[in-house]
Order: sequence, then structure tokens, then C-alpha cells
Amino acid sequence: MSTLHVISHSPFADDRLDSCLRLLANDDGLLLCGDAVNALRAGSPVEARVRNADLQQRLFVLAEDVRARAIHSELAQALDYIAFVELTLKYDKVNSWL
Amino acid sequence: MKFAIAVFSPAHAPSSRRALRFAEAAIQSGHQVARLFFYQDGVHSASSNIVTPQDEVDIAAQWRSFVEQHQLDAVVCIAAGLRRGVLNQDEATRHGRPAANLSAPWDLSGLGQLHEAAQLADRLICFGGD
Repeated sequence: MSTLHVISHSPFADDRLDSCLRLLANDDGLLLCGDAVNALRAGSPVEARVRNADLQQRLFVLAEDVRARAIHSELAQALDYIAFVELTLKYDKVNSWL
Repeated sequence: MKFAIAVFSPAHAPSSRRALRFAEAAIQSGHQVARLFFYQDGVHSASSNIVTPQDEVDIAAQWRSFVEQHQLDAVVCIAAGLRRGVLNQDEATRHGRPAANLSAPWDLSGLGQLHEAAQLADRLICFGGD
């Protein structure tokens, strides 16, 4: 059963993202929103860990949140809210890391 | 498809705005929002007494008009609401409090409503945190 994981907390404040990367199954997806998009800040140690997790085609970010923070990354696909809604339907479940 | 949306943060938190934008996009795409459930600090969104600074977006007011416009089932957790002073007239009277700050379109009810929403919807999406 595939799960879309959603994280909104900054990766510099806690270890939610690292825990999530550790247990992400092969058919799971990961959506970063809010301060969690800081995980894609170029040159940071956390960005290297995300890059090493090898999440091609299954790493997503909310477009408004990367734009607001001037983050540019080729690692993730940027989504608007309409695409966010559709993405949740491509996975069996959605797990928000509250 | 049917969505159930649970909101765990107050209206001034970014995640509450994200939940609202998600719900708007779901309806715009032709999906159904089967129930909104406001839990933990999310219950503050339903308070009639929120005064948002003039230079900020009033997400609490936007929630209210969104719920009214689409006549959505918007449930506020009663236990979380009582704990935080979000009371309708019945609860204010029952507990001897001087004022009520929860009215239509919001509905005070129990956590069972979240469980039921999770069963009847195709997806349960939770919003909380930053």
C-alpha cells in the first residue's frame, strides 16, 4: 500500500525528515511544504541527504513555499494546490507528519 | 472523490491556510469535501472572537465563508473546544460560563466524527504544524 508522506516542519528544527527518509518505502512519495522546503536549500547537509535518498519522480514541493523562500531545486517537482489534490489520489494513503 | 480534512493548528498558522487552499482546490476540481474536522489548536479557527490584524490575511474569516458558501459539514471537537474556551451557547450555559463564541456554521461534536469521516472519505488529509 503506497503512502504519500507530507512534512511541513523545518529539517533544521527536528528529525522528522530523517525519520521519514529512513522508513520511506519504494512506492511511497514525499511532499515538502511550509518550512520543510528548506530541506532543498542548495549546499546544506540536509539537501545532500535528500539527494542521496534518490527520490526521482516521487519528491514534491508546494510551489508557493519554495517561491516564498527563493529556493530553486531540480530534486523535486513543484506543485500548485490543484496538483496537490490530484497527487493525494495517486497514493493509497496520506500521512502528515504533524 | 470524497475528502475528509482535519485541521490541527489555529487560523494564524501557515498549515491552516494550506488546509483551506487544499479544500478550495478539491472543490474547484470537482471533488467533494465530506467533512472538515477541527481538532486540538485547530478549534480556535471557529471562534467568533478572533480579530486578525488589518495587514494580515484573515484565514478564520475565510474558513467561515468557505464553509457557508459550500454548506460543508464543519465539526469542531467538543473536548478540544471546551479545553480552549471555544463554547457554543449550550456549553456556555451547561458550564456556567459568561459567553459563547461558537455559532453556525460550526458544529461542536466528538472525535467519533473524525473516525467516521476517515471511514466514509476516500482520503483523510491532516494539516498541522508550521
